[in-house]
Formats: sequence, C-alpha cells, structure tokens
Amino acid sequence: MLIQQLANGIAVGSVYALISLGLTMVYGILRILHVAHAGIYALGAYVGWFSFRLTGEFWFSLFIGMAGSALAGYLVERFLYSPLLHLPRIAPLIVSIGLFTAMEEAFRIVAGPHTLTYNAKIGIGNLSLGSFQLTETQLLILLVTFLILIILWVVLSRTRTGLAMRACAMDAETASSFGVNVKAIVAVNFLIGSAMAGAAGVLIGVYDNQVWPTMGSIPAYKALAIVVLGGLGNIPGTVLASFVVGMAETFFIGILAIPFPRDAVAFVAMILVLMFKPYGLLGRG
Amino acid sequence: MRRLIGIGVLVVVSSIFLGAGMVLPQETIKIGFFAPITGPAAADGMSAKQAVELGLKEVNEAGGIGGKKVELIIYDDRLNPQEAVAIANKLIEKDKVVGVVSGSYSGPTRVTAPIFQKAQIPMVVGYAVHPDVTWDPKEKRPNDFIFRNGFLGEVEGAAAAEFAIKNLKAKRISIISMDNDFGRAISAGFAERAEKLGATILTKQMYKFPGEKDFRPYLTRIKEGNPDLIFAAGYYNEAASIVRQAKELGIPTQIMGEEGFDSPKFLEIAGSAAEGVIIATNLDRDDPRPLVQNFLKNYRKAYNEDADMVGASSYDAFMILVEAIRKAGTDPKAIQKALLETRDYNGLTGKISRFIQGEVIKPVQIQVVKEGKFRRLGVVDNPEVITPPMKK
Repeated sequence: MLIQQLANGIAVGSVYALISLGLTMVYGILRILHVAHAGIYALGAYVGWFSFRLTGEFWFSLFIGMAGSALAGYLVERFLYSPLLHLPRIAPLIVSIGLFTAMEEAFRIVAGPHTLTYNAKIGIGNLSLGSFQLTETQLLILLVTFLILIILWVVLSRTRTGLAMRACAMDAETASSFGVNVKAIVAVNFLIGSAMAGAAGVLIGVYDNQVWPTMGSIPAYKALAIVVLGGLGNIPGTVLASFVVGMAETFFIGILAIPFPRDAVAFVAMILVLMFKPYGLLGRG
Repeated sequence: MRRLIGIGVLVVVSSIFLGAGMVLPQETIKIGFFAPITGPAAADGMSAKQAVELGLKEVNEAGGIGGKKVELIIYDDRLNPQEAVAIANKLIEKDKVVGVVSGSYSGPTRVTAPIFQKAQIPMVVGYAVHPDVTWDPKEKRPNDFIFRNGFLGEVEGAAAAEFAIKNLKAKRISIISMDNDFGRAISAGFAERAEKLGATILTKQMYKFPGEKDFRPYLTRIKEGNPDLIFAAGYYNEAASIVRQAKELGIPTQIMGEEGFDSPKFLEIAGSAAEGVIIATNLDRDDPRPLVQNFLKNYRKAYNEDADMVGASSYDAFMILVEAIRKAGTDPKAIQKALLETRDYNGLTGKISRFIQGEVIKPVQIQVVKEGKFRRLGVVDNPEVITPPMKK
C-alpha cells in the first residue's frame, strides 16, 4: 500500500509542480502574484478538451491546450500587467484576481455549468508490478511532467535565453544594462509558465476525467502556498515543495487516515516554513 | 395621409394592449419553485426544473385546476443557502405563491423551511434528505407546513444496508462518504443498519465537498482491507470519480451508492466503470405503471435525455401539491390540511401511504447499472426500515 500511495502522491505533486512553476517564474521576474494563472490552467483544460472533441487525438489536444494557455498568458502580460508595472504591485494583483473571476464565469457561460468529460485514449497502458499499480493516467502525468521539467532545466541552464531569464530574475535592471531585452524575457517567461499550466490543466482533465468551470479555484490558492513554501521565485524549491505537499496530502488521507482537510496541508506547511525557514524550503538567509 | 396611418397604427396598437389588459384579470394559481439551475449541482437543478415544467404543461393542458391555469415561479438558488433565503422571502412577499416546490438540495431547502413554516405556506420537497427540512431543531417540533417526497438520508442509507447485507450477503464493508449533511446522514443510516444486521464496517472515510476529485488515496486504503462491498455516499460527479478510480486501481469490489448517483451525468462521466454499480434511490425505471412509463417517455421526447431520480422526485412533489390544491382550493392553510390527509397517493416514485411528521412512507428502490442504464434490481419495503423514525 505504501508504494501505491507513493505513486498517488507523486502524481498529484507533479501536477502541483506544473501549475506552481509558472507562478513562481512570474513572481521571480515581475514580483507579481499572478492569481489568474489558475484561470490559465483551467483554460488549458478547456482548450485541450475542445480540440480533443474535434480531433479525438489526445497528444494533439495536449499540445493545443499548452499553446492556448501560452498565448493567453502572453496576452495577459502584454495587455494587463505590462501597462501597470509602474504602479505599486497591488494594482496588478487586483487586476489578476478580477481576471481570474471573470475567466471562471466565462468558462461557465461559454462551455456551460456542467462537468465535461475528457475521456481520452492515451495508449501507453498501465504499469503493474504485483499489487502495485501505476494507472495509465498516472504514468502519463509522470512522463509529461518529467519531460517538461527536463526541458525547463535544459533551457534555464544551457541556453542563452535561460541565462538571460535567470539574470532578469536576479536583477532586471542590471541585466538590462548588460544588453538583455527584459521585455522579451518577460514574455518568454509567461509563455513557458503558462504552457506548463495548460499542460497541468489537460493532465488533470484526463486524470479526473472532468473539466469544470471552477477547476482553478483550489489551485489558485494552493499554488500560492506551494510557491511560498518553495521560496518565492525559487524554481527547484517550488518543485520540491510541490512533491512535498502532494505526498503529505496523500499520506494524511491514505495512511494516517486522520480527518484532516486535504487542502489545509499546503497551508499548514506554509505557516511552518514561514515560522522556521522564512525563505522557503531551499531558501538561503 | 401619414397622420392617418399614424392614428391607425395607434388604434391598432392600443387595442392590442387593451385586449391584453382585458385578458390579464384572469387569475392564475401561483406555485413557487427553486432549484440549483446553475453552479456545482446544475445538472440536478436542470433535471428538477425540466421535470416540473413537464408536470406544469400536463396540468395546464388538462385545463388547470378548477379552470384556473397554474403559474410556476422559478428561481435559481445556485446551491447557495443565502440565495435560497432571499428566494423564499421573494416567493412569499412579492410573488404571493400559494405553495412551494423545492427542487433543490438539503442546504438551500433547510434554510427556507423555517421561513415557509413561519409564513404558513406549504412546501413539498422533492428530494432533499436533511432531517431539519421537516423538523425545527430549536423548537423541537415538526415544521408541519413542510412535506418531503424523497427519503430521509437515514432511511435511504438503512435501506441500502438492508439490501447489501440480506441480498448481496456483504459482511465486510468500507464506507466512503462526502462530508456534508447529505453524505453524513446517509452513511450514518447505512452504518447503523449494517452493524445491526451483523456486518463489520472496516473503514469509514470522509472527503471534502466541494473540492475533492482525487479519491485514489482513500481507495488505496480501502483496497488494503479487501472488503466485500464499498458503500459510497456522494453526488454524481464525485460518485463517478470514485467508481472510475476504483476500476483504475484494480479494485474488483462491488460498489453501492445512493440517490446522488442517480443522474445521466454519473453514467456519462463514469463510462464503462459504472457497469454493475448498485444504488438505493427513489425511482424505478422498470415500474410497469403507465404513470411511470409515460413520464419517462414524455421526458425523453421533450428534452432528448433520460429522466433521473431528481427530476422524478421533483415532478412528484409538484403533483402532490397540485393534487392538494385541487382538493382544498388556494388557501395555504387548507392546502396544508389536504397534504396532511394524503393517503395512498399513487406517485411517480412509488405509492406514498401517508406523511408522518412531514416524512413519506414509501418503498426504497434498488437499481443496478446495466448496459449504461439504471435498471430494477430490487425493492426494500421492510416497514422496520422504511418507516421514518419519529422525532421528539
């Protein structure tokens, strides 16, 4: 049972990582709490669902979902955040919260209040070793997440764009004086972060076989807690925090079996970290 | 010339208005209705609304009640109790309805009950399960203007246990329940009856509603105990997730549910994993009575989808109220008296012997999913189980 619960926990943690990374990247570079990121996540699920309905091709729908989210994320940055950057950071935060609410309502109005089913044939099969069972969708989540994390790592550590992204996150002004096009880097940040959120939306849609208008409302605040837990803006810290939270939730429910609300786990962890390690799990200082 | 045409148009238009004005005084009988037409329970809310509108059409096409047409005042409570309070007040003060039908869940319905009770407007509740709908917990007396067509959660849970143990021979049972009024009431009724009949409850888990979508940690724990039966209490979205995820995890155990499963949405989301799932509910699709078969046929024709328990129960609630108005006229107190005197009412969801403390006495239907449809498997009519407990 322990291994099985481990698999359950890693699957959930993977999705948290995909959602939270975009959030932490945006915070790292713009210092904005991008609440509407959860709306981008739900949008990815809807766009993916829609393209799946049209074509019946899961992998294609995953790609389209990611592309749709990336585009939406870029537009949000370009037309909503960018004009507000000279204002105190509370202004884009308010815009972000408003946008998130508007997006949830838009999903409801456009796609209807009902839960949609995302019943995709993926075709990679289950992985079962004795009593241990990695279901097809769990396997899918693990594969996609690790692939994306590896690509992200390569981009950040092995390319000039990645170097520029890290430089901007450290100090955008200095980076700019060394000839880095900060605007373009911010856009790239939003594109990558939003595409990951879109992937998370599609994966959750398939994992739960459900896409619904308010699917972003819990991730909206849980991802925030995870990002704080990981040390705001810290990418490896966020990945670690995501798996810690996913695993802790699963173990609280499935092994300790204490009636502790699942969604509180991330916040308790966040409070503990703020008390004892205020710069996050991997934070310095 | 132009002026002449102008005058002509004016005359025509005003005569239309006058004509309409002359039709207006014809009185209608106003019945209030609320359901979660949007929001997380929208599928159920729509079912309830559509079924009641079907009933309304039938009543009005047959000449209404005593020559007067029935008018249904419909509100959407969005599954939000605050909203429901506002709706109840509006129905009483603005719309001045003679009676109300609840097509909603326990949350919104139970907050409106004391309001209608105080205003002495009778309400017939389609399918909400909470005891405090028909009972005033502060004054410790029944809300005698409120009548429930569906089952008390405890009764339905007990009936499910009765069938699980006597017919399915389950001895070791795991319970997974939604943490709200509905889930708690049904699973408590199930556990009490199951233990009384000698079964062992291995695990009892609660999950958060709304919000929980990933039941794998719960199910993995259940799998470890290897029970003969899993009793799941919850609404259709969660129910479908549980059934699917159990299948994915390779759990072969029989899953039993309750009326929350009874929705086409459950069958759609769960897909092939729904096959063989057994539920205790308030509608028998294989009931040969013409009343039932006509309703199922007409509903299909009108909305191009299959009727469910929620729709059927709300339809019944509406028809019970209409019947009482037919007998007693439009005075709310007389209607209440007629409702109290209901005997052997031939309802769509079964024969109601009578109401005691606002609760029905009616057999509980057991259905099984076969080839993607709910079909009859059995009926629980043991009076010890289906008679609602008297409250004091």
